Amino acid sequence: MSPLAQVLVDGIFTGASYALMAAGLALILGVVKVVNLSHGAFFTLGAYVAYVLEANGVDHPVAAVVMAAAIAFAFGVFLGKSFINPVRSHPFSVAVGSLGFAILFEQAAQMLWGPHPLSIDLGAPLATLHGVTLRRWGVISFLLSLGLAGGLSLLLSGPWGLPLKLIAEDEEIAGSVGMDVEKIRYLTFGAASAVAAVAGALLAPAMAITPTMGRVPLILSLIVVIASGMEKVWNLFFLAVGLGLLSNVSAYLLAPSWSYVLLLAVICLLLVLRPSGLATAGPGRDY
Amino acid sequence: MKKSEPFRHGKFPGVLAAGAGVLLLLPLAGLDAFLLNVLTLGFLVAVYTGSWDIVGGVAGQVSLGHALFFGTATYACALLTSLAGCPFPLAAVAALLLATAAGAAVGTLSAPLKGPFVALLTLALGEAAHEFILGQTFFSPQGGYSWGGEGGIPVLLRVQPLSPWTAYYAALAFLVLSTWLMLRIARSEEGLIWTALSGSELSARASGVDVLRYKRRAFMFAAALAGAAGVGFAAFVGRATADDFSLELSFQAATFAAVGGRGTIVGPVLSALVLHSLLQGTGIPPAGRVLLYALALLLTLRFFPGGVAGTLRDRVRSRRMVAPGKEGNR
Repeated sequence: MSPLAQVLVDGIFTGASYALMAAGLALILGVVKVVNLSHGAFFTLGAYVAYVLEANGVDHPVAAVVMAAAIAFAFGVFLGKSFINPVRSHPFSVAVGSLGFAILFEQAAQMLWGPHPLSIDLGAPLATLHGVTLRRWGVISFLLSLGLAGGLSLLLSGPWGLPLKLIAEDEEIAGSVGMDVEKIRYLTFGAASAVAAVAGALLAPAMAITPTMGRVPLILSLIVVIASGMEKVWNLFFLAVGLGLLSNVSAYLLAPSWSYVLLLAVICLLLVLRPSGLATAGPGRDY
Repeated sequence: MKKSEPFRHGKFPGVLAAGAGVLLLLPLAGLDAFLLNVLTLGFLVAVYTGSWDIVGGVAGQVSLGHALFFGTATYACALLTSLAGCPFPLAAVAALLLATAAGAAVGTLSAPLKGPFVALLTLALGEAAHEFILGQTFFSPQGGYSWGGEGGIPVLLRVQPLSPWTAYYAALAFLVLSTWLMLRIARSEEGLIWTALSGSELSARASGVDVLRYKRRAFMFAAALAGAAGVGFAAFVGRATADDFSLELSFQAATFAAVGGRGTIVGPVLSALVLHSLLQGTGIPPAGRVLLYALALLLTLRFFPGGVAGTLRDRVRSRRMVAPGKEGNR
């Protein structure tokens, strides 16, 4: 019983960070109105930042989170401002270009750190309850993810979220009341990328760090965003935790590669079964 | 969007004829075996990229899982010849049929979807197939070697393998023939309807086109051609590996097509041939190659967001007419 209970607890812990990442993707879909396939690359970036910091003796999660967020924000703003914004209205360019960026990053990571899985020491157990071990990193990542997701939801419901909501609703009105729509778009893109990197930094100890590790969380967040829409942050949160559990349990019961296949099957089913329900989730007008 | 317009009445065939002449002459001019090999593979990659352009360019269904069809064919060839003991020609026919069936399946599933969701579904299907194939191991009938995964499965030809010269000319003939076929079909009524789909699905439907059926047929035709390239690859390389299904291979087709001008067929075919030969011939390691592809892609998309052919045409047009405002968009 206890190995499975351990997997369940870990699944909930990792699911919280996945929720954070999905929230970022939802923000991009809502405000920038593109399906961003480079989100997983920022996750990977965060994980490698955490690894490099740990390898150099800085093993506090908060340091990794801040560093990862800053680097990813810079790259995210660059990508959003000089690539995504200019090609926004061409779905082909967005889809293939954002995938291209992800592949570019994967290859760069492979050149820098090699194709072999790296890992971070999980640290000593914090406490053991009925045979289930709680680790420091897991608890911190869970609490941080919870806090950040909550903070994001609060922020979006407050006055700060108003411009974003307006742009999501109608960009022309937003522009006509004097908002710099393009600027808000690339800042949102940068912030969302930073959030993905934070999730990656927080989950780095729980995963094998490889150049392609970002693909699983990318598919997972795409499922979450497509299935739950972007209005209710808590909906999104529980769905992400559920999928995190699914992938952890399937990795435990079958084999690690099965969690990816299972998530891919879920997204295929979702797309095939609800083709009409997706129109609301995507950028509306162009097709 | 009438994407094939720029090359439709242009001077391209003349240039193409000159290019074909050069390619025919190269082996006679004493090209070394390595470059001959690179070019032969380049011809196959060009057909594969052209087949992507049928579905992703002409019909406008952005597929990010095109390697699925290629890999299905190479794997079918390898499994049928090495494990089941079929003669190669029979395996090749079966591989073509299987690839077409895979195209029909993907086309049926993705037909009701629009825009980025087609890309998403094909990406997910391709990745699922890759992941599945990566985990499969087979045991050879004699000796019990374990086959599959990254190591791959050998393709048994059972006949004298073609000499490098014959292979080169066969691949070149295959390229010319399939490019002609693709252009033919892209300019036929079928291709016109595909082009209409990529322009506006709604107006195609309004004029009575069975949209789902034509999308599926575009996928089937493209898959059959990608499968044909896969058969050629299996025969030439003599091995099918899980990499034949990889996301990088799917992405490579979209990249070459975007750089060459989506929807023009000749553009993607040429850019695939040139980029592949340049990067292979100069001996850049695979990781660096993919890096350069991605860079080339990002730059192309950034400066030609509506596709190379489309954006160039818009620029020419706006220079002629001095259209106010809307220049460059759609």
